[in-house]
Parts: sequence; C-alpha cells; structure tokens
Amino acid sequence: MTTTACFIIVSRNDIPIYEAEVGSAGKKEDAAQLHQFILHAALDIVQDIAWTTSAMFLKAIDRFNDLVVSVNDDGIKSFFQEVHELYIKILLNPLYLPGSRITSSHFDAKVRALARKYL
Amino acid sequence: MEQKIRVLNQQVSATRKGFRNQIKNLWWRKGKEDALDTPIGPVYTFNSIESQIRTLGDYAFMLRDYELALSNYHLISTDYKLDKAWKHYAGVQEMMGLTQFMLDQSRKEAEYCMENAFNTYLKLGSAGQQNAIRCGLWWVEMLKTRDQIKEAATVYFRLCGEDPLHSAVMLEQASFCYLLSKPPMLHKYGFHLVLSGDHYKKCDQIKHAIRTYRSAISVYKEATWSLIKDHVHFHIGQWYAFLGMYDVAVTHMLKVLASSHQSKTMQELFLSDFLQIVQKTGKTFEVLKLQLPVINISSLKVIFEDYRTNASAAAASVRESVWRSLEEDMIPSLSTARSNWLDLQSKLVPKKYKESNICVAGEAIKVDIEFKNPLQIPISISSVSLICELSANPEEMNSDANSSNIELQNDENKTSTSTGDLNSSLILSEVDFSLEGGETNLVQLTITPRVEGILKIVGVKWKLSSSVVGFNNFESNSVNKRVAKGRRKAKHSPSNDLKFIVIKSLPKLEGFIHSLPEKTYVGDLRHLVLELSNQSKFPVKNLKMKISNPRFLNAGNQRELNVDFPACLEKKMNVEQSGGHANVNKMLQNVFHFPEDISVQEETSLCWPLWFHAAVPGNISLYITIYYEMKDESSIMKYRTLRMHYNLQVLPSLDVSFELSPYPSRLQEFLLRMDIVNKTSSECFQVHQLSSVGQQWEISLLQPVDSILPSQSLFAGQALSCFFMLKDRRRLSTSEDRIPSLSLQSDIRLGPQDNSEALFDVSCSPLADFHDCERSYQGMSLQGYEYKVDFVFITQLLNGSIDSGAPNTPLLFSHHACHCSLSSTSPISWLVDGPRTIQHNFSASLCEVNLKMTINNSSDAVASVHINTFDSPSSQSIDATASQSGLPSENQAGWCDIPVVNDMKIIRTDALAMRFAKSVSLDGVSQFIWSGSSSTKLLLQPRSTAEIPLQICVFAPGIYDLSNYVLNWNLIPISDEENQGIVNKSSGVCQGYSYYLTVLEST
Repeated sequence: MTTTACFIIVSRNDIPIYEAEVGSAGKKEDAAQLHQFILHAALDIVQDIAWTTSAMFLKAIDRFNDLVVSVNDDGIKSFFQEVHELYIKILLNPLYLPGSRITSSHFDAKVRALARKYL
Repeated sequence: MEQKIRVLNQQVSATRKGFRNQIKNLWWRKGKEDALDTPIGPVYTFNSIESQIRTLGDYAFMLRDYELALSNYHLISTDYKLDKAWKHYAGVQEMMGLTQFMLDQSRKEAEYCMENAFNTYLKLGSAGQQNAIRCGLWWVEMLKTRDQIKEAATVYFRLCGEDPLHSAVMLEQASFCYLLSKPPMLHKYGFHLVLSGDHYKKCDQIKHAIRTYRSAISVYKEATWSLIKDHVHFHIGQWYAFLGMYDVAVTHMLKVLASSHQSKTMQELFLSDFLQIVQKTGKTFEVLKLQLPVINISSLKVIFEDYRTNASAAAASVRESVWRSLEEDMIPSLSTARSNWLDLQSKLVPKKYKESNICVAGEAIKVDIEFKNPLQIPISISSVSLICELSANPEEMNSDANSSNIELQNDENKTSTSTGDLNSSLILSEVDFSLEGGETNLVQLTITPRVEGILKIVGVKWKLSSSVVGFNNFESNSVNKRVAKGRRKAKHSPSNDLKFIVIKSLPKLEGFIHSLPEKTYVGDLRHLVLELSNQSKFPVKNLKMKISNPRFLNAGNQRELNVDFPACLEKKMNVEQSGGHANVNKMLQNVFHFPEDISVQEETSLCWPLWFHAAVPGNISLYITIYYEMKDESSIMKYRTLRMHYNLQVLPSLDVSFELSPYPSRLQEFLLRMDIVNKTSSECFQVHQLSSVGQQWEISLLQPVDSILPSQSLFAGQALSCFFMLKDRRRLSTSEDRIPSLSLQSDIRLGPQDNSEALFDVSCSPLADFHDCERSYQGMSLQGYEYKVDFVFITQLLNGSIDSGAPNTPLLFSHHACHCSLSSTSPISWLVDGPRTIQHNFSASLCEVNLKMTINNSSDAVASVHINTFDSPSSQSIDATASQSGLPSENQAGWCDIPVVNDMKIIRTDALAMRFAKSVSLDGVSQFIWSGSSSTKLLLQPRSTAEIPLQICVFAPGIYDLSNYVLNWNLIPISDEENQGIVNKSSGVCQGYSYYLTVLEST
C-alpha cells in the first residue's frame, strides 16, 4: 500500500520547526501544500483538545477527505515516541535555540529512517 | 384547519391507533410490499393512509401543536422505513428534526433526525441533492441558533457537492462559522477560505476567489508555513494578473520569488510567471529590497585608499594589523602626522564629517558584495552598480536643497557612464553576471569620484532578467554591517563607513615585482626587479621600503640592477670585502632607505633590484611596504604607503645535513660529513660547490668527487654522502706562521673539475646577506662564533620544470647550514697519545704503559679540568656519568642549546661517546688498571694547551680500550660583565674516547 505522510513539528506560536514528507508514495507537487494546509488547520483542534486531556497521544484529531491527522495506530505511536527522543537530543544541543528551525541533517536522516521502520 | 385536523385524526386513530391496528398494520404491510414498489420507492396516493398521517402531522406542525405532529411523524416514519420509501422517510425525519428543535426538548434527538434525513437524501443520489441541501441548511440554522457554531461549520462542509460554486459558497460559510465560533478557530477559517477560493476559481469567480484568499492572508501572515504562504501569494498574484491588475499582482508575486524551499519546477513557474506579469505591465519595475538575488550584507567590504595604497587586490585583503606592524617604524609617528593633516582637514571639513574616511579624487573605491541565488534555477543579473551621492563640501554649498540637485546630476551621471563620458563627476562600474542555482558570486563594484566633495555610497541596484530593477540600501540594514580593513574606530557609526571625503588627487605609486616565482624549491636564489611607477603628475621622494621576511627577499644596490646573474656572484680576484658588512647594517635596520637623491618623477617608473632566496619550504606570504612622500607640500596627505603582497609556494628540494666529528689523531682537524638527499620528485640538481663561511676554515675533499658522483648531478630521490676535511686555520695561526688569507681554501668545487666556471663568492652580497639572515634564524647567538662553523652548499638546476615563467638560465640554489658545532659541545678537547702496540714479557713483570694526554681549551675563559680515571669494576660510576652526560644540553647552566629546527641534523659526538661507554661496560672484565694518580686537576689558561702524563698497568696480553676515564671541566667565569652571558656552557662532563692498545706477549 502506498501511503504518504507529512510530518511536521510545530513549536509555540504555530511555527513549524521541522517538516518531512515521508512515506512510500512519490512526492506530488500539489500535495505538499495541501498537507501543510490540513496540518495547519488541525492545530485548532489540537489547541482545543490540549485543554481537555492530559494524554500526549491525541488519537484521531482531524480528517479531510481521506487524509487523516491522527495517532491512532501503534506504528505512528512508536514513531512519535522515537522522534520525541530525537527531539530531546536536539534540545540538549547547546547551540540549538529552542523554537528555531531544526536544520540538523542527522536529525532528518534519523526521522526518515524511523518513518521507514514504523509507517 | 382545526376541523381538518380533527377529521384526519379520527381517520388515523381508526386505522392505526391501538394495539390491534398496529399488529394488523405490520402484517398487512408486509403483504403489499412488492405490489407498489417503484425504483424510487413506493408511491403513495393522496388518499392512502400514510399520506393522511403525514398531512395530519404537517397541519399539526403548522398550528404549532408540535407534540401531535411529532407523534404522527413517528408513526409514519416507521411505516416509510419499512416500505423503503426513502425519500418520504427522509422528509419525515427532516420534519421530526425541526419539530423536536421547536419543542426544544432533546437536542440530540433533533440532530439525530437531521443527520438521518440528510444521509438518507444523500443516499438517493442526484434526486435527493436539493432536498439534502435544504435539509442541511435547516440543520445548520438549527445548530447556529443553539450556538453550536463549530458543528454548523462541519455541516456546511458536508454540504459541499459537485457544483463548485455551491461548494465555494458553502465553504466560505463554513469558514465564517469557524471564525465566529468561540474560541475562534483561525486555522480552520483560513483553510476553508482557501478551499472556497479554489472552488470560486474553478467556476471563474476570480474576484471572489481573490477576496477569500486575501482574507486568508491575514491568518497566514504571522505563520512561517512557507508552502502555504507561497501558495496563497502566488495564486493571488496570478489571479490579479488575470484581471489585469498587474501592480498588485507584482507585489504578491514578489513575496514568493525567493522561496528557496520550493522544488525546482515550482521555482521556475514562479519566476516565469513573475517575469510575464512584469512584462505585461509594460514598464521596468523598480523594487526596493528585491529578494532575488539575496545580498549578503555582512559580506559588504569597502576597499579604499587613503594614505595606504595597495598594489594588488591580494594586498588589500591582508589584515590591517599585519601592515601596521610592518609600517610601524617607517611612517612618521602617528601624533605628528595626525595633527598635520587634521589641521588641514578641519579647515576643509566640518566637524560632523571628521570621522569619515578619506579617499582621493580619481582613485577608485572598491566595494565587494556577495550575491546569492537562493533558487535552484539560474538567474541572470545585469547592470549591477552602486548608488552614490556626491555632494560638494557643505561649506561651499550650505543646504540640503542642493543635494537633490546633485542627485539629479548624479542620475545623469549614471546614464552617462554607459556612454563613456569622462567629464562626469562620478564613474560607476557596471557588472553583468548570471547565477546558477544556489550559486554565490562575489562582485566587485567600483566607484571613482572625479571631483572633490563628500561621497556617500547609498546602496546597490541591479536588473533581474533585464526587466526588474532591484535596489538595496546599505543603510537600511546597517546593524550587521562590517566594513573591512578594521581601520575605523569602534566609536564610528556605521553610516560613516560609507561616507567619504574626496580630496584632491595625489600621486600614487604602483609597484610590481617582475618574475617573482609562485612556486619554487628551497634554496632558490634569484635576481628580481621591483618596478615602481608613478602615473600621476607629481613626483614623489624619500622612498623607504620594508620587507616582512628578509630571509626571502632583500633589497639590492642600484648598481646591481642590470648585473648578469649568476655571473655576478662569481668570485673575483681583488674583491673588496667591505660590501658584505655594509649590508649587514642595512639588514639590521630592517628598513631599506632608498638613496636620498632617488625620486620617482611624474609618469616615470623606477626599477630597483631585489634578491630572492627561498629559505624554507612552505606557503610563504611576503609583505612589502613602500613609503613615499609627496613633493607637493600643499597636499593634505604628506605621505602614502604602497603595500604589496605576494604568496609563494616553496617546495622542499635538497635535504642537506652536516656532521662534524673531530679527527681522532689531530686536534685542529675535523671530519665533515655531508649528507644530501634530493627530495624532489623529478628534478635533477647539479652540485656546484661547498663553502664554509668565514676566513678561518679550510676545506678539502677526502676523495675526488668523480668517484662519489661521476655525473655531478643528483637525481630525484637520490642520496649522497661526501666526506671532507676541515681545518681550523685560526687556531693554528696562534702557534704557527700566519698564512695569507687569500690562500685559504674555504670553498670547494664539487662540479666537474675541468670546468673553468668560477666559484661563487659567499662573502659578498646577496649570498652573505641571506646567510646572515639564516644565521640569525637558525641560531640566535652571534657570540661563540668560533666554536661553530657555517656552510653554504650551492647547486644548480639546469632545466627545472617548476616555474615555467622563469628564464631559461640555470637556477641557482644555495643551502645554508649554520652553527654546525665543532667536535663537541664543550670547549675542551683532548687527545690521548701513546704507543699503540707493545710487546712485553709478562712472566717478568707487569707492563706499565705511559700515555700522554693533550688538553686544549678553546674558550676565552680559564678552565679547570679534572680527569678521573676508574677501573671497570666500578662500572656503576660509568653508567652514572654516562647518563649524566647523555642529558641534553647539560642544564647546569641557564643556557640551553636549542636543537636546530632546520633540516640540517648535527649528530652530537656526545652521543657517540656514550655509545662507546656502553659497549665498554658490556665487556665487563678489564685487565688493566690506571696507575699513577687516579685523579688529576689542572687549570687551563684561555686558548692554551696542556699535556698530562698518564700511566696504566696491564697484567695480561690483549687488546684494551682505554676509554674509562671522565673529564670534568669547569669554566671559571671571567669577571667582565659584558662577557658574563656569552659563555655558553660553564661546565660539563666528557666521556673518554676509545683508545685501543694492543699488548703482546714477547717471547
């Protein structure tokens, strides 16, 4: 099955600090901004849910047609866990300013490797 | 109406109310199922009971008897469902929803009914489409009234159908719902606006599309979601262009131009669309802060010449501190110089410009700026030039009113530069280039003011794809600005860095060194010519020059300008020796003064000889600075300096090392071993000569060169060892007759012996100069001169491949080895003399052998020498002393012998002695003892020799090594204070030399 996923880490004030298009399907030009649009829109829901639950994994959040913003399967869940650890490592870097864009190629490579593993 | 209700109610209750009726109904319904089925479900006639019930419900609803209506709708809906009359069912459900909403009892029920109805309509396909929309709208209104706006938005979203216009309206409504919901869901608002805009676009409602997108911008304005922003701006731009509103379109397109994160095709699309739009506007667009290409403001570098002038661009990039330290003792002291021209300046310039930079009319100011193409596609940039303002001195023109005038004139200049009008007050350079994807280009722009005044560099402008003019003002982002050369003080505000006071044109020297190689081998000796040309109309005088690395470059004499090199180095008879010494003075001063009478007249040039010698391998930077003064006293600047910078690469060539060891049998003679390794990969050197420096040494070959090196040339990678004998003439002269110095043979020809080529004279310039430099680099002290000997080894390279620009004459290489120490590090040398073979009858008595030790003190101090002899059972002491003497540089004294860093390796004879001592101790048993005194102490006068008798007793025949003694020597310091520091070693311990004695049994 060819699935494509867009993974974005968003910092405070809705600033994306890391973006990656992962998945097996070939990259489509128009899809890129659509994914951004959907994820951006989903932030509203996240903001709402964040007040109501203490869970870190917010199950299904939003959907647009057949595109789903969610953490509803175990693969995504473990992917998120691993990426979270990577992110913490990035945060530990004294030269990284929290909230700024992550430009580390190492991080990028790791995330993509994880995506291949879990998604 | 009420009557009708009553009638209908009776009918309905007659047929359907009550348990019996219901059972019957169920049973009966099943029976008639197949009879009335049509593709869209059963058809009910008006008279049918179902229609009756529905009518009753509707009537009741109209009369606001919602309870009754609801009960009727309930009744009928199950019937319709069983009949699979979906359209009717949905209609009833819809009505139920409305009724329940009116009753306001159970919201859930109402919603459930609406959803049910809506879904059922949708299931019907196109037939139910309109009903579905109507139902949905009811539903939305219902939710809105209940303040469930968020849910209303989702319903709007679900209402979207195939018709784009319909969808667009619905989506726009949905977005408004999101905006109105509490808290406002701005992200969703934006998203739905964009979706709606897309749909509007699909049905050619471009104005609406733009309207929605524009409102969406407000959402995305803050965000850094790059793709979204690009999408929105690009589409707005495109649509405006479609409508013919090009100006607005351009402003939107500009925002997406420099989007480096987009893919290549997208970038191409953006750029081509943008250029198309610009073309359609029909005029050249002028854009402030155009983002394409990106200007790296931090790379901005202004190079200008005030009293410091540069011979080349390379010199300008050298750090100012390097030049400062070089020029330190050459230029007049800062305070006087400053006061001189500040006085003048203050007359000319008002206070606020005092801290501006100074430049000279007619001389170009260079500005380096980096342009970077953020895209992956190539772009072409043309007519890059600076924007400058040149105004007259405010004293002459006293208001800003004139500045606009000047600017106008300036604009004219800009246009006139292309026509090459030299009468304009400014000359600006224009550069055209194209940038590949991601490429960075450093562009040098020049501006040449032609009249005096105040020049201000405002910014830079360029033309993108020959249609869009971009501007960038340097002032606007002055925060990051850094002006190169570090010549401004910290208190200067950055704006002043781009402000210049243009002063009257001055003479400027240009300098060039002819045929300086870029790449050469170590030891290369050359004759170069420095050419200084004065292009201006005024002469300059008082020239001085300083060279950063005198090891590599030396100024010659004027008469050396046209000499024939290398013939000029050859030894001549009756050569006066004074030349070399005069040059030592010159070198020590560090600054080369050109003769007083030398001046560079207007529009002429001066040539001056230079000597070049590649001293050490590596990448070498040569800095040369030349100071000169104006003859014209009235100018603001009294003097200027010309800075030259050359980089050269010096490759290793020959590795020459010398090793001196004392001749075992003679005191004043030494064995010199020279090891040469050709380290180059391809070159073939021809050995020429070996010279010792100074008058007191005499060198002779131990074996003819032909036997060692028949070809006289060293091929790549070849190694060679030669042995020479070195005689100390100076010491001998104390005792023997003085030999005329001319007959001293301090040079040895290593080349073909039959060659008539003269030897080179190492005692005259430039070889002597370079040798003195080498001396001072290879070892610090000039004192203790007499214990050391220096060698110069000269080779030739006939046809080298290293420097194609070099003349075809053979290259000359000289290798200097300095401070090769004689015999040992100690000033004491000695010689044990005596019989070598003895025949003795051991049956009669033991054998006594008399020996003589001659000790020589070569130092200037009185030495006390203590000879300790010991027999081998006390080998402990040997080890102890051996290890002691093995310590480098015997740190009893403060002086420390720094190992020579150079390639020349001088193996200490100390170490050799130690090796002998070790081997002796291994032998273990010795069969002789020192008789006579076991310890002798004596005082040696400076430069004197003493003889001590020694005696040993031998008990058995055999071969004996008489090295088990130690000389402890101690220099008694001279009371002279000036000599205090000179004594390089005050005491030391020396192991005995091996001296083999053969004792035979006589018959």
